[in-house]
Amino acid sequence: MTEPVLAVEDLHVWFDLEQGGELHAVQGVSLALQTGERFGFVGESGCGKTTTILALMGLLPSSASVAGRVLLEGEDILADGEESVSPHRWTDIAMVFQGAMNAFNPVKRVGEQIAEPMKLHEIAEGRTARRQVGELLERVGIPAARASSYPHEFSGGMRQRAAIAMALACKPKVLLADEPTTALDVMVQAQILQLLIGLADDFGLTLVLVTHDLPIVAQVCSRAAVMYAGEIVEIGATDTLYHDPRHPYTRLLFAATPDLYDEEPVLSIPGTPPRLDRELVGCPFAPRCDRAFAPCDRVKPRLVATDTGHSAACHLNDPALKAAS
Amino acid sequence: MRGADYFLKRTLFALVTVFVAITLNFIIFRATPGDAVTGLRCQFCTVEFKDQLRAELGLDKSKWEQYVIYLQSLAEGDMGRSFVTREPVVDELIDPLLNTLPMIALGTAFSIVFGILSGVVAAWRRGTFLDWGNLSFSLLFYSLPTQWLGLMLLIVFAGTLPASGIADPFLAFTDPSWWDTFVDRLEHMILPAATIGIVLYGEYALIVRSSLMEALSEDYVLTARAKGLRNWAIVWRHAFRASLLPVATLIALSLGYLVAGAILVEAVFSYPGIGLVTYDAVTERDYPVLQGAFLILTLSVVFANYLADLLYFKLDPRVAE
Repeated sequence: MTEPVLAVEDLHVWFDLEQGGELHAVQGVSLALQTGERFGFVGESGCGKTTTILALMGLLPSSASVAGRVLLEGEDILADGEESVSPHRWTDIAMVFQGAMNAFNPVKRVGEQIAEPMKLHEIAEGRTARRQVGELLERVGIPAARASSYPHEFSGGMRQRAAIAMALACKPKVLLADEPTTALDVMVQAQILQLLIGLADDFGLTLVLVTHDLPIVAQVCSRAAVMYAGEIVEIGATDTLYHDPRHPYTRLLFAATPDLYDEEPVLSIPGTPPRLDRELVGCPFAPRCDRAFAPCDRVKPRLVATDTGHSAACHLNDPALKAAS
Repeated sequence: MRGADYFLKRTLFALVTVFVAITLNFIIFRATPGDAVTGLRCQFCTVEFKDQLRAELGLDKSKWEQYVIYLQSLAEGDMGRSFVTREPVVDELIDPLLNTLPMIALGTAFSIVFGILSGVVAAWRRGTFLDWGNLSFSLLFYSLPTQWLGLMLLIVFAGTLPASGIADPFLAFTDPSWWDTFVDRLEHMILPAATIGIVLYGEYALIVRSSLMEALSEDYVLTARAKGLRNWAIVWRHAFRASLLPVATLIALSLGYLVAGAILVEAVFSYPGIGLVTYDAVTERDYPVLQGAFLILTLSVVFANYLADLLYFKLDPRVAE
């Protein structure tokens, strides 16, 4: 295998809580992304997806402490804090934010905001920058003349397209998209996803898509990670995750997605995710798991390769343990 | 054209407000029990004399007629004559107004510059000692009663700076140069302007701080950080501009009330401005002057509002919709 464009090694994030104590939001996430790969992060709200990708760009608030390494083509960009990560922002890793409605400054013209990082990173200026902004807008399906509009003059879908154009301003290698289609209606959602796929192919982008919407991951990503309580519980090819999940959480998550042609009732997963401000013992999912057995409450399962070629963190995959109970 | 409609609407609205203010101004003075003549007490103030006086002042006419006359003379710039000096009210008010405006301008300029500066620093360095100190001082200044602060400044600086009036009465005898007069005026202006400036400084610093902090928590600030912008560039280019919206409105509004607020300061420093004239008119029951002063005060508030609307339009592209 070639060197991954982006590798994350044992990433941890803690937030200082105002009432004292810490919240261990991300607990040892590791992964490696190849150039041009489309990767998905799935999980319910509060599982640490967004925190993880914000950490990749060093964008967490000052109340967060981060441990672990983020390697961009082998270089640890978080090594020296702002100093080392700042030059890579937008030029190498760019982001489409959750709720792109507010990703634009309401008092500045859209084109000006798209051109801003070009100027900042000395990629293009003046007339050249304006021409490039126009091309980017056209590429995402917005007439170039609309560059002089203000964000409020755009519809929700257009703003999201513009946000994508803005993310591509400096031709990044990795594009992080955090819930890029929430708050959009289904038709627009599909268009935006098609656009993202097309752009990723055209620009050779490595796309990281964060969502709680499983069908979106299935549609866009070739590989995905399922996150629960701050860690990856299962990671592998999307197909395998869907057809042969090796973690009960993944299975239940898919079962909780309504199917138009299926008569089966939609299942919900009882209980709530564990609190992350205290040390967890055993498997974090055990209290909600329908197949928990003896070791689950005491021993924390590690992410290990399964026979299907992906990895899951579940004791059920250990034949010895299973036999013993 | 974007905004022509908005501009027209705001102008019309301001004009209607002015008209309402003028009418209220008329009603207030007629709604008080008795009239300008009732209170007269003198040896020869017989009932006949009072009636004659009423006829002379037009007070025997119906309220409606009085209102029409009032509007007509106002349109001609005639606000009547002062009871005390017998001079036209307009002449009585124009000089004090011209005395007040530069004093207020000085105080406001001080408070805007330093209020915004310290508000920005406080928001930028939120939670630090700098922020804490800034916040405490701003709150303290903001909560000080204007007249009390004026008195304290008077006590402390009475020896070093002129404590009352607008000019050194003896300067005229020394054949002063243009520069000397200017410096003298400025010195007399400093204490009242500082009083206004300090109180406003507290208010502005607090507003700028909270407004900027709110702007800094917006999503587009995160976008700006992700784009690689440095802290100061984010504060200056993104958050500050957006945070100016409420700040500009509040400053414009407070400017309007300032003309009225000058009453206390000018009374403390015996500064012959519009505030002192109002104060004297109240104590001497000089109704025409008081009415004129009221009109100026209301007009300045309306005008400041109008200005705020226009400024808001300039600052926020969303306003026209």
